[in-house]
Amino acid sequence: MIAPGSEAPKRKPSKINVRVLRQDGPGLPQYWERHQVDYEPDMNVISVLQKIAAQAKTSDGKKVSPVAWDCGCLEEVCGSCTMVINGRVRQSCSALVDRLVEDNPEEIELQPMTKFPVLRDLMIDRSRLFHNLKRVKAWVPVDGSYDMGAGPRISRADQEQNYPLSQCMSCGCCLEACPQFTKIELQRQPGETDESYDLRKKEAYDQGFIGAHAISQAMLFNAHPVGKNIADERMEALTGTGGIAACGNAQNCVAVCPKEIPLTTSIARAGRAATVYSFRKFFDR
Amino acid sequence: MTSNSSALSFFHRNEFLIRRLHSLSGLVPVGAYMCVHLITNASLLAGASVFQNNVFTIHSIPFLPLVEWAFIFGPILFHAAVGVWIAQTGKSNVQQYRYTHNRRYSWQRMTGYIAIIFIFTHVFHLHGWFHMDWWLKSVAEPLGMAQFRPYNAASSLADAMNDFGGIVWPIFYLVGVLACTFHLANGIWTAGITWGLWLTPKSQNRASVFCAIFGVFIGAAGIASLVAVKTTDSKAAKVIEDEMYKVRVEGHMVKPDDHKRTDGHQHKEERKPEPVAAP
Ligand code: HEM
Ligand code: SF4
Ligand code: SF4
Ligand code: FES
Repeated sequence: MIAPGSEAPKRKPSKINVRVLRQDGPGLPQYWERHQVDYEPDMNVISVLQKIAAQAKTSDGKKVSPVAWDCGCLEEVCGSCTMVINGRVRQSCSALVDRLVEDNPEEIELQPMTKFPVLRDLMIDRSRLFHNLKRVKAWVPVDGSYDMGAGPRISRADQEQNYPLSQCMSCGCCLEACPQFTKIELQRQPGETDESYDLRKKEAYDQGFIGAHAISQAMLFNAHPVGKNIADERMEALTGTGGIAACGNAQNCVAVCPKEIPLTTSIARAGRAATVYSFRKFFDR
Repeated sequence: MTSNSSALSFFHRNEFLIRRLHSLSGLVPVGAYMCVHLITNASLLAGASVFQNNVFTIHSIPFLPLVEWAFIFGPILFHAAVGVWIAQTGKSNVQQYRYTHNRRYSWQRMTGYIAIIFIFTHVFHLHGWFHMDWWLKSVAEPLGMAQFRPYNAASSLADAMNDFGGIVWPIFYLVGVLACTFHLANGIWTAGITWGLWLTPKSQNRASVFCAIFGVFIGAAGIASLVAVKTTDSKAAKVIEDEMYKVRVEGHMVKPDDHKRTDGHQHKEERKPEPVAAP
């Protein structure tokens, strides 16, 4: 909604209070810390975080290590700056301070996402999100040693159905808000090599819920004329451990997706495809 | 898939099949049974004799205890056990994300837990769980349980509901029936997504409306049954039921069965030798 121009601008605060949930490293305890920065017009949470890092000082003057966070594109297309802002998961680059103080003038609350292992402060490790995309082979398999020629044409109707799904930026909002997607965090054992630690993580991730983003991407690539060559492999993953059946239809995913991807339609489509696939698998063998 | 897949728990390895069977069991037989059950009970509104007739029909099903276990208790136990497991796999966050669908997700789990307590108590209260004499005589009945007498259906029901001042049980049943009603109506909606019946937000909204209407209908049947029980004159009903029983026995429509009657035990000496039923 656009506010009418005639409306007198609300009095802006001169200072912004920020409460940050910090963590010094993987597996360490979390603690809240208060910071204060000068207000400037048109700030977003990233610019607030830049000021906080530059000050490296809490609101009561104690010197602290700079708060760490992640970002990339600064235009809500890479997903790397995702965090929980005032209790709701979203991108910090598109979280405008003027809007946030309208909702709560007292303070802005910043928290790392709760469903992924924290690396430091607001930085999290979302490798499980990407691992789950690999579980459903969310790609078009065209690697090979010979020229496959031009791909088949995609009808207008299919394009319109698929384009929204292709906008996913792997931000993880849908996973953060999902009650069925629970955190998996392993502790590195003393003397464990990178390889065996990674393997242990992959095995743990393989048992967890795959998540709305991966279900939706599986539907996107199963609708692609070349991608559908490995449709059965994707269905195998979706009907396996932590697949489509683990969804509990809370529909938070679709409510928080910043790209407004019709995730629950993808979930229902995947449910239908899984019904057909499992019947076919049972009766065709 | 991986080398340790044999070490995966049975549940995890068969997650898809188990969850689909859970979904199916919620619809048929458990959900379907619940509808038939509540509508049959609501027939008490039409009078003790109508209700008694329906109960006679149900009790003419051969091998009733077997049928009860295979199609009612068994599936409920399965659905409840798997339901608790499923509920444990999630972590509700309605406080943070106050969306209607998220509330429904939480309610589905809460009403599931209520349903367990309700159904177990309800079956114990009226049915007794087991038909063995020693169980009924030394456990269930001394506790005020196993109160229902199929051949004195309305009167024994009214008596059972009037224990404890006649208000505790009706409230207990009201809460239980409404919880089960929400659970089934919302469950039909989620099952439609699970199996891929309704796909788009629009069709899912239409399905929500349909399920809500269905819920109101089933809930009304449940409330009607409770109203009917509370307004039944137990003594008058018993006279009618005993007449109906006598006619049925004389007409060889039912076998005499004192277990299914209120005052069967006092009449043991009058009992005619049971005719051997020809199949
Ligand atoms: C009156 C008895 C019951 C009926 C008629 C019933 C019916 C249903 C139905 C139709 C569903 C939908 C399945 C789906 O979403 O695919 C469902 C789901 C569910 N039921 Fe029940 N149920 C009953 C008792 C219980 C009990 C005792 C529990 C124990 C907690 C329970 C727990 C659940 C859970 C957790 C779900 C959600 C499953 C999911 O979304 O994956 N139900 N039920
Ligand atoms: S609909 Fe499924 S994937 Fe989406 S938030 Fe709910 S449980 Fe998670
Ligand atoms: S589906 Fe939406 S919320 Fe989920 S990762 Fe993709 S863009 Fe983010
Ligand atoms: S920095 Fe890329 S989405 Fe925010």
